This record gives sequence, C-alpha cells and structure tokens, in this order.
Amino acid sequence: MILMMMMMMPVYASSLRVSFSSSPSSSSSSDSVRTHLSRLSSSPLLAPSPNDGFQAHVRRKPGVAHAAPLSDNSGEYHSRRPPTPLLDTINFPIHMKNLSIRELRQLADELRSDVIFNVSKTGGHLGSSLGVVELTVALHYVFNAPQDKILWDVGHQSYPHKILTGRRDKMSTIRQTNGLAGFNKRSESEYDCFGTGHSSTSISAGLGMAVGRDLKGRKNHVVAVIGDGAMTAGQAYEAMNNAGYLDSDMIVILNDNKQVSLPTATLDGPAPPVGALSSALSRLQSNRPLRELREVAKGVTKQIGGPMHELAAKVDEYARGMISGSGSTLFEELGLYYIGPVDGHNIDDLISILKEVKSTKTTGPVLIHVVTEKGRGYPYAERADDKYHGVAKFDPATGKQFKGTAKTQSYTTYFAEALIAEAEADKDVVAIHAAMGGGTGLNLFLRRFPTRCFDVGIAEQHAVTFAAGLACEGLKPFCTIYSSFMQRAYDQVVHDVDLQKLPVRFAMDRAGLVGADGPTHSGSFDVTFMACLPNMVVMAPSDEAELFHMVATAAAIDDRPSCFRYPRGNGIGIELPPGNKGRPLEVGKGRILLEGERVALLGYGTAVQSCLAAASLTESHGLRITVADARFCKPLDHALIRSLAKSHEVLITVEEGSIGGFGSHVAQFMALDGLLDGTVKWRPMVLPDRYIDHGSPADQLAEAGLTPAHIAATVFNVIGGTREALAVMS
Amino acid sequence: MCSALTPPPSAVTHRLRLFAPTSNPIPIHTRIDFRPRASSLNDTVPSPSSSFYDLLGISESGTLLEIKQAYKQMARKYHPDVSPPDRVDEYTQRFIRVQEAYETLSDPRRRELYDRHISSGLPLAFSSRRSNRFDEELEARSEWKSNWQSQLNDLRRRSSQKDSRGNVSWGARMRRQRDEQVAAD
Repeated sequence: MILMMMMMMPVYASSLRVSFSSSPSSSSSSDSVRTHLSRLSSSPLLAPSPNDGFQAHVRRKPGVAHAAPLSDNSGEYHSRRPPTPLLDTINFPIHMKNLSIRELRQLADELRSDVIFNVSKTGGHLGSSLGVVELTVALHYVFNAPQDKILWDVGHQSYPHKILTGRRDKMSTIRQTNGLAGFNKRSESEYDCFGTGHSSTSISAGLGMAVGRDLKGRKNHVVAVIGDGAMTAGQAYEAMNNAGYLDSDMIVILNDNKQVSLPTATLDGPAPPVGALSSALSRLQSNRPLRELREVAKGVTKQIGGPMHELAAKVDEYARGMISGSGSTLFEELGLYYIGPVDGHNIDDLISILKEVKSTKTTGPVLIHVVTEKGRGYPYAERADDKYHGVAKFDPATGKQFKGTAKTQSYTTYFAEALIAEAEADKDVVAIHAAMGGGTGLNLFLRRFPTRCFDVGIAEQHAVTFAAGLACEGLKPFCTIYSSFMQRAYDQVVHDVDLQKLPVRFAMDRAGLVGADGPTHSGSFDVTFMACLPNMVVMAPSDEAELFHMVATAAAIDDRPSCFRYPRGNGIGIELPPGNKGRPLEVGKGRILLEGERVALLGYGTAVQSCLAAASLTESHGLRITVADARFCKPLDHALIRSLAKSHEVLITVEEGSIGGFGSHVAQFMALDGLLDGTVKWRPMVLPDRYIDHGSPADQLAEAGLTPAHIAATVFNVIGGTREALAVMS
Repeated sequence: MCSALTPPPSAVTHRLRLFAPTSNPIPIHTRIDFRPRASSLNDTVPSPSSSFYDLLGISESGTLLEIKQAYKQMARKYHPDVSPPDRVDEYTQRFIRVQEAYETLSDPRRRELYDRHISSGLPLAFSSRRSNRFDEELEARSEWKSNWQSQLNDLRRRSSQKDSRGNVSWGARMRRQRDEQVAAD
C-alpha cells in the first residue's frame, strides 16, 4: 500500500510534491504514510505547520476563511499566523497542478486566512483581494503562468496572486521601502505580466499581448481580469471594440462585485454603484424581464382560466430561452462571447468553465461574467461600507484598525470643508469627482449638498469635459481629481477647458510623492503640464490655511480656468480661517516668510515647509537665509522674484514636482528679464529624472533629495560652504 | 404566437406587449395585480403572497430614498402605540412585515437576493433568516449554472465556424496561418 503511493508521487526538480488522492485507506497505514510524507515534502521557505500536516480542515461555513483556534475561546482569528498546511506546500502555481477540487477549496480558505493575516500586519488593500481568492486559485490551477498571461486590472486585488507566485515570504514587506509593490510590477516578477495601478488598462494590454502572440506564432492563453468599476472607463470599451474586431483569442473576466466608487457608499451607508452599466449588469443577474413576463403569464392565467395555464407555461419557456440564451447584448454587440453570470466563490464552477474555455480550440474574445463579493470571508469587511478596501494595520480578531493619532487632519478633509464653506456662500459651486468620494473628501460635500456633487465613475476625461459643460451654463465646477489621474484627462483640460478659457477649477489631491502607493499614484507632473497652458492659473498652498484661501481664490476666478495642488498627508497645525471660509488671495502675489541674507529659497507648495526647516538648519550653522512662498506658478510674482534676485547671491527654487514646472518658469522669467545676466546664481531643486519607488514618505523624500537636510546642504554647496554641507547631511 | 418582446429601455418603466386571444394586444405595465383587492386601501392586512414592494407601496425599481420615505410613513401609521385599540394585532402584524420589508430592501445585497427570489417564482414566503436565504442562494446559483452550461456548449459549436474560410477577421487569418505552419512542420 505504501509502496503504491510512493510510486504515484511525481518528483519535481525543486521539491518533492505529494499527490494524495481522496481514496479511503485504513487509518493506521494512512497515518504512517502521512507522517512519512510530511517529512519528505518540506518547502524550502516555510516549514510545515505543527498540525497534522495534510488533514483537511473541517469547515464551519462554506467559503469563510477558517483558522483553527489554538484554544476554544480565542475566536476565529488570532494574531499569530494561522496554520496553512496546504498553502505551505505551494510556492508557485505549478505546485497546484495535482491538487483535487476539495484540496483547492481548502487552499482557497487557507489563502484567504493568509491574506487577512498579512494585510493585518502591513496594511494595504484587503477587500478586493478577498473577493478574488477563489478566482485566483482557479486561474492558476487551470492556466500555466507565466507562459499564459494573467493580467490584473489596477492590481490592488493581486495579493493572493503574489502569494501563489513565489512571493509569499515577502508579503510582510508589501508597500514598504524596498519591499513588494502594492500593485503589479513587471520588474518584480515574471508572473506580473503588466504594470498596473490606474484602472481599465488590462483589456488593452491583454489584447496587445494576444496579438503579439499571434504574430509570433505562439500558443499561450491571455486572461485579463477587470472589475465592474474599471468597466465604467472608456478605455475598456475602446479595448473591447478593438478586440471584437480583431477576433484574436483572449479571455476577459469581468469581476462584478457591484463596487464602482471608493467607497461605493456615502458617509451614511452603502449606496448603489453609479452608472447605467451597473444596473445593466445586475439585470443580467436578476433576470428581471423574465420575472416580469412570468408575472404577466401568471396573471393572464388566473384571469382566463385553466386551459391557458399550459399556454402560459410555454410562454415562460420561450421567454427563458430568448432572454437567458441571448446572454448579454451589450458585450455580444462588441464582439465578445458572453458567458455568465457565474458564482465567483464557487471553485468547481470556475474551474469547469475555465477548463472548458481553455480547451475550446478557437474562441475569439470571450467575456466571463463572474459575480463576487468584495471582502468575502472576513465578516468585518463584508459588513463595512467601504468593504475594507484600503486598511491600515488591524487586529484580525476584532477588525479594528490601528489608526495613528494625528493632531491635524488631512489636506483632503480641509479641502472638503473649504469647498463646503464656499458652496454655502455661493449656490453655483458644484463638485465633480471620478469614483473617489472617499479619497477626495467629497463624500463630506455630498452629505451636505446631495444634488451638487457628481460622481461620474472612473471617467476622468468625461469628468473634465462635463465640468466644462457646467461652466458654460454659469456654474462653478470644482473638478477634484488626483494629480496622477489627471494625466488621463489632459487633452480634455487643454482642448475643452483651457483653449476655450472656461472657468473650471481643478483641485489636484495627492500631488508630489505619495508614499506606499508608489510611482503609479504619485503626482509628479501636474505643475509641468498645467503651468504650460496659456490660460491656466496655477497655484499651490504651503499649508492648510493657504488651502482654504486658495479654494476661495479659485471660486472667485471666474474668467479663466484655475488649478491648485495639495499633497497627501496632514496639515501643520496652523490656525484656520474663521468659519472655514478663506479669503481670495491676490492673484500673482507671493509672500516672504523669513527675512535673511545671501541665499533665498523660493518654495512652491508644501515644499515651503521643508524650506523653513532647512532655514533653521542653516541658522544653526550661522547663516540666516530668506524663505519665500511663491503661491502662484502662473502668473508668477515678478516683483518678488526681481527683488529676491537683486538682493541675494543665490536663488534656489524648490518644488515637489518634475523638471519643467515651477523652477523652469522662474528661470524663463529671469532669463527674459535679464536677471540672469548679473551676479545672482539660480539653482532648481526638483524631483529627480527617475521614478521614485514606493515606500514611506520620509524614505521617498530622502530618495528624491528634497528633505530639509538636502535643501540646506544645497544652500551651503552653492555658496562654497562644503564643510557645512557635509555636516548638515550627516 | 408571442409577438416580439421589446427590450426594457431603462430600469424605470417597462412595457410588455403580450398576445391575447382577442385581436388587439394589451399593453401591460410592469406591476400587474390580479389579486382581489380590499375596497379600502390600507385597512386589511395584505396576504402573504404580496411582495415587499407592494407592502411599502412603491415600484420595484424604487430608489433607496423612496424606500426610506415609504417605510417611515408606514411605520408611523402602524406602530402599535399609535394604532386604534380595536386593530392593534392587525396593525402590529403589518408593522412587523413593513419592518422586514424595509430591512430587506434597504440593503442592496439582500434586495438583490429578494429580486432573484421573486423572479424564480417560488410560492414560499420570503424570510430574511439565514437558512432560508442560503437555500434561495443555492437555487439562484443553480439557475445560473444551467445558463452558463448552455453558453459553453454554444461556444464549442461556434468555434468550428470561427475556423472556416468565411471568417476573414484578423484573428482568423492569423490562426489559419499558424495552423498551416504547424501542418507544414
């Protein structure tokens, strides 16, 4: 008996794999086999759990992550790593190939516990990852990554994918400096086929990979997983339109969890997802037309009597065939073959469908509509309005997040309060955002002014032109989009807003470096691409009080477009204007914060705070320098720059943006004004010409060379005080 | 027999044209009610076969705000403390049912399950107790399963057509090219 089982074990190069079938065997012999096998198959990275290695967990509820309690009273989750005997044997997808369906279900449960445990220790994206656990397992079981390409749209749901593709041991470093990225990254692993972070790119990229495969004569599969939220973006339709036309073989998996916005909820509770597409997708699930027909049929039967009952039954059958057989006209019209809806938490279903589609010789583009639940398997996430989309470190047993205590609030909250104050005073003020009600703070605005806040779904381009349309009618639209996502809407900003000089106000949150989200989300380029537009007023607050004033300034600028940028993070603790109502600033006027000599630091935005800190560093070395806050990049405060250039030896411009931004505009002006023909030295401090990887904000700033120490060192280096420069840097 | 069903243009109103034994087709709106109605609208307790939507007096595509408003209205009316003394039991029963209706319809997930329940045409009274919901979920999911199984069969049938000479899409041409190369090797 033991010999037979030994012969059945296929041996792989790296580690000994065990295939255990579920055939019944006598308990004593199977026990000895098990202990023998458990000693043999130890993965190089993780020791097998102390529990009886391969005994299947008894599951209390189907589909709920289960961690065996150490004691009866410790509850379902505990902060020690939950035992994951089966997951411990999986390092790469190839190790899954011999598992049975029952074992795959167990693997999914263990994977779920592991995701919860990991995210509880590091923070990150939880809800989305929990929703796709079964899907991830099914995909890696059926397909052969990395030859088969599996693309994850946005990538924030790819934590289970990372765990199954050789990065489980590094999950404790996710979103930290030098650790795993929070999204997919090609340079991190060959299993990450395409870098993602912004949404709705997976079908486009997948189609490109499919066509490339066809041109090269290869035979691998291409699978793109995209959510119903990402489906609200135009690029997804551009891609499907093209895919249907080219007719190349590829699989699109629509992960439908009825979540579009972040959160898909107001401050008071869950909300239906925005957009007509969402109701179309739920009609596919609830089969409403069929029900109505049934009601009609029932009614007709009752009214007319017995013999009609047969007729009504026939009508029912006919209707069912017509409605359910046609699948979905929306995707079919675009040329994708529609399969679904499918229960996304049922591994059996997922595997049989994927196997079937994989084995069908020629499919063209296929769309599988999978229905999942965000946060599934972790009750606190299921119940939360935001489904625990993005969480800080938390206690798995209670679901409570460890939120640090900060003395001030975030710039986001201050912006929302400022906008509410403006909207109270002026009924024409309206707000627009693209599915980011939580992240932009506009959920606060929505609660106060339910009819004046517009969530357009993930559609930044439409948001900008929509705002332009509103401005045409005399309203005062505040288009609140993250700096990084504004990149998507650039043509609309130029062509639809700036060219026509429409007074749309752009509030760009997450400007500069953003920390754990990394380069995909950092707002490095907005000063550059906004300030080069002829009609745009470009400004940036140096603290939260300035932010209130700039919101008021933007509200007052009614003859041309304007924009302002503010970073991720909390305020500095300065006193706020009374009633949260700012005063409009004089456009094109900066201010001097510190008077000094020899060197002037001209900062833009919150970099001014770093300048002030640098000034105190230089003062401790005996040099009192001037610090000025430019406030406006366009129009520049010419008088301020002239006076600084004429009364100092050195002028250093500081900003948290790329080349071509504030510093370049200052240099341009100085050159044209003849200020560079004299003795003043101008030096720019900008973000370096490379992408700064994810990490803590402090690490990123150090990597970028924009910390107060760096600024002070630059000051000393320019005036020849290299010894002081070294002293400041150490 | 059945004239063409017009697809619903929006989620709000639907019109279905159904054949009738008489010559003129009857345009019928979404909510058809052939149940015997009491003469006074709100006095009798509705039969268990009426839906939650009927109970609250709103249409099946009612928004959350409408549901809330209807519930508040009904709750104020049928609360045992304010009901006329001779009809306390009746009103209390109704109040409980209204409560249940609101709980189910105000949660998007439960509302979706409930919608599926009605569409499946089960005569059982809907209950928000977990075991019953689980059974319904199973039933709804099995409906989906037969659906996608037939779709997969259809996919297989179509795949043979996709390879035929008649298909001139870019993908088909590349596939033919690849197959010819493989055959040549």
